[in-house]
Amino acid sequence: MRISDFIARIITQRRALVWCGATALAVACITILVTSLRLDSDVLNILPSSFRSVQGLKIYDREFEQTRELTFALLCDPNDVDKLEDFAPAFAEKLRQQPWCTRVLAGSPMATPDGIRDLQSIAAPLLLNLEPGAFNETMSILQPQKIRDRLHRLHQHIEAGSPRAEFELSFDPLGLIAPALKPFAESTAIEQDQPLTSPDRTMRIFLAVTNQSSISAFECQRLMRRVNAFRATAHEGWDGGPLEILVTGRSAFVSEISLSMRYDILATLAGSVVLVGTIFFVGFRRWLPLLGMGFSLLLSCLVALTLGLLIFGRLSMVSVGFCAILVGLGVDFAILIFGRYQQARTDGESHGQAIATSVAKLGKAVFFGALTTAVGFLALVLSGSMGFSQLGVLIAIGIFVAGLFMCSILFLFIRERQAPVRHDWVFEIIKKYVCWVVRRPAPMLIFSSALLLLLSAIGFSPIPPLHFEASTRSLEPKNSRASVALQKIMHKMPMRWEPVLAVVHATNPQELHDDWQKIAVHWSDLQAAGKIKSFSTPAALCLSPKSMQRNREQLSAVNFPAAHETLEQTLDAEGFSRDAFASAFTLLDNLQHLVDPDTPLPNWRAQLPRSSSWWFLVDRYFGQDPLLTAGFVTTNQPVSTHAQREDLGRNLPVLLIISALMAFFDVSLLAILYRDLRLWIIQVITLAFAIGAMIASMKLLHIDLNMLNVLSFRLVLAIGVDYGIYVVLIWQKTREIEHDVAGVVKPVVLAGLTAVAGFGSLVLAKNPALSSLGSACAIGIFWSLVATIFFTLPAMAAAEPKPRHENKIDTD
Amino acid sequence: MRTVFFILIGLICLPGFARAEAVPDAEVKNLLARIRENRITQADFQEERIIHLMKKPILSSGRVWFQPPNRFRREVKGSSPSLTVSDGHQLWIYYPNFKSAERYPLGKRSPLDSTVAAINSALNLENVENTFQIAAAKIDKGYELALTPRTASMKRVFQKLDLRINDNLQADRTNMLLPNGDRIVTTYSNQTRAPVPPSTFEFTPPPGTDITTPLGR
Repeated sequence: MRISDFIARIITQRRALVWCGATALAVACITILVTSLRLDSDVLNILPSSFRSVQGLKIYDREFEQTRELTFALLCDPNDVDKLEDFAPAFAEKLRQQPWCTRVLAGSPMATPDGIRDLQSIAAPLLLNLEPGAFNETMSILQPQKIRDRLHRLHQHIEAGSPRAEFELSFDPLGLIAPALKPFAESTAIEQDQPLTSPDRTMRIFLAVTNQSSISAFECQRLMRRVNAFRATAHEGWDGGPLEILVTGRSAFVSEISLSMRYDILATLAGSVVLVGTIFFVGFRRWLPLLGMGFSLLLSCLVALTLGLLIFGRLSMVSVGFCAILVGLGVDFAILIFGRYQQARTDGESHGQAIATSVAKLGKAVFFGALTTAVGFLALVLSGSMGFSQLGVLIAIGIFVAGLFMCSILFLFIRERQAPVRHDWVFEIIKKYVCWVVRRPAPMLIFSSALLLLLSAIGFSPIPPLHFEASTRSLEPKNSRASVALQKIMHKMPMRWEPVLAVVHATNPQELHDDWQKIAVHWSDLQAAGKIKSFSTPAALCLSPKSMQRNREQLSAVNFPAAHETLEQTLDAEGFSRDAFASAFTLLDNLQHLVDPDTPLPNWRAQLPRSSSWWFLVDRYFGQDPLLTAGFVTTNQPVSTHAQREDLGRNLPVLLIISALMAFFDVSLLAILYRDLRLWIIQVITLAFAIGAMIASMKLLHIDLNMLNVLSFRLVLAIGVDYGIYVVLIWQKTREIEHDVAGVVKPVVLAGLTAVAGFGSLVLAKNPALSSLGSACAIGIFWSLVATIFFTLPAMAAAEPKPRHENKIDTD
Repeated sequence: MRTVFFILIGLICLPGFARAEAVPDAEVKNLLARIRENRITQADFQEERIIHLMKKPILSSGRVWFQPPNRFRREVKGSSPSLTVSDGHQLWIYYPNFKSAERYPLGKRSPLDSTVAAINSALNLENVENTFQIAAAKIDKGYELALTPRTASMKRVFQKLDLRINDNLQADRTNMLLPNGDRIVTTYSNQTRAPVPPSTFEFTPPPGTDITTPLGR
């Protein structure tokens, strides 16, 4: 028994069993998806994972506290800058009181008494961490004569009105703190590198660390609902002109992207259903098969998603494009199979016979169409990008499953007793066209060749250029509030968030210290040579157990009682207040205590209060693992963007090369399938014309290429090959040209139009990448269809004319 | 740093009030208008600084010159002399005894900018009622004005500023309470309205002077 007969029998005689199987499959897939679905909304996963820059960014994104950091910005009119300054502390306080907020940075910690006190509290470990030479020089300050000289000198300066002397004594009464913090101050300059007020004072920045348990899409949406509620009331107390409250950060982006994904799926699905449904009904005047097509496609998507989830563990946001592509491809199978079924019914065959005929006649074409498409998209695994790899695998699985379902489950939705359509005007029009083209192919061939050649010339010529939008911003949703906020902040304060990142992960504290010391020296040299503008490292905060132990031993040589006594006497002699110098005595006592070898070496992590604003700085440098650290380089020009463009620029050619390789695979497969040089050449020219016209249209319509819509070339090639297979195979085998060729061309036309409508509906998506993917695919498929109908068909008729008396199709 | 703020405020207040404009209270408004008509440009001063670092107040005296909006010169005499000069772009403090000088930039987001800008705007007719709460009282030989800053930038500079205006409508005493509790009282005498040559507000460190920039720029 042939497979087509077997399928026909199962569908007609075991309907309940097939229904149960399809339902069980759907339930199993939904169960797995609901219980295990994890969406990967990280845009970094779209980039090639083999790039070290991408790896570094991923580590920083995953392991550092800043992933839970939100950036708030207040933006006012220039006339209200004083009011903004007044309002800022109140806003910061409101922010601190939010239950989702654990810490707020509203200004340089050095500008607050608490910030200065916190810095003083970590002086001892940083003092011990100094290089031996610097440590010995610093400790010499405790010699009695040096204590006397210093305090006398500072007293005289204060008498003369020196603000510097007054500040020095307030901050560092003993003279040990400044040298201890010197490396820290040299390597970290938050106020200069990361200003919190714009130069024109119209913008104030507030950094807030949230307490969200994860950065999943749902958790981010939940957080942002609360943040937006806060934002709605945060204006209270502001009595100036317009005040914008901007919020950006990882959570804001994830929330918006995930919400826009939901909108995109619903909007494009609705648009697609309406458009595809209308075309399908116009072509076949049946609703139930349309429902069957939708069900089969949905089931294909579910199966592919489930298998993809089981394979990868989590699915990338770029996989959203998978459903649209699968629908675009799967619709072709459905329309072809149903079109052939309807034609067989019109020819007088029974329901079962018509099912067997449609599967038998088009099963091979569907199989090879699915094969070329699947292999083509599987090649995306080579792209190195997790997002695109997933997309390729999902489509490959989905398209095979869709082909299978369209040859089986689709027939569950076709009623046996339904009478065939008596007057099919679409078929009649196409039949007349086929007759005319077969009889006189030259006029159409000349006209279509000229048009497609012209467009291909425009498309493949370097002028006008086709632009690559290599920025990841091309993947952000349209009108994203988080994106707009970030752009406004970057506009006002271009120095923010532009450093180059270096990540160091050490196996122990000593290694971490040594590594950063070497890096700091190297970067200093680069800075001195003018190759970089500035840099900041955690070097000063990376404690060296060796140095600390050695310096502790040196402490035993210091005469602390003498220093203590001299300090007391000098304060009295110079007229200083002892109360104002209490912290000096405390520091002396702490250092004396450390002389005892049984006392554990101090660690600034334990001594810095958890509420301290300095943690914002620390969190920039240290991951959750204290041995995982980051340093930053500010370059003379924004090379981070340049580097990003270069990296992505490299990625785009990779995708295009993969597309080219797969095109080679496709044409090779066609050669084997057709075994006819002339038909093969016609098909290859058709594909070239379709791609050329597509590129020309994109150029003329100013549609840029980006990370997602570059896939459209692969898709258009796959669909173009499919159309060619359907038409060329039937041409090779037909004996009744009008009947058989028109019988295939009609479904091809309908499939093409539904695919164009389906992809065109993606233009409704908020995500610009998705909408551009839709428009690019719609354009490409349109030209594939045009080239197949108006070039391939007349070219075949011209190259291999068929006698019109042949009136019966060959049996397979 | 707070000392610098004090110096700036004291100096700017002295002639600044002479050019102040309307405030909501009609009497204060008239008073400020008359002070403005009687603008002074230089005066002798005696200063008492009560700072938390020292057990006893620090006394000093000297002379100041002022030219609105932000040019001034202040010479401290005695055993610990100093010279403070601002040309509106940078502030110099020179210590002859130590042959050292400190240079503080103004503009380019200097921490001093907000202070100077806030004080200037506070003494500007358009903003004075917005930036200060002003309470005026008639006393035997003049007026007492109590200025409480409204804006955050000025609150960081001082908590309260009391001014005493004499019968000649010239400021003759300022009493400033700083946020950390320090207090600075300055008494002015020999106020004049004589023109001040621009070179008064220029400063070039003598050769061999050790120059530092405490704000790092």
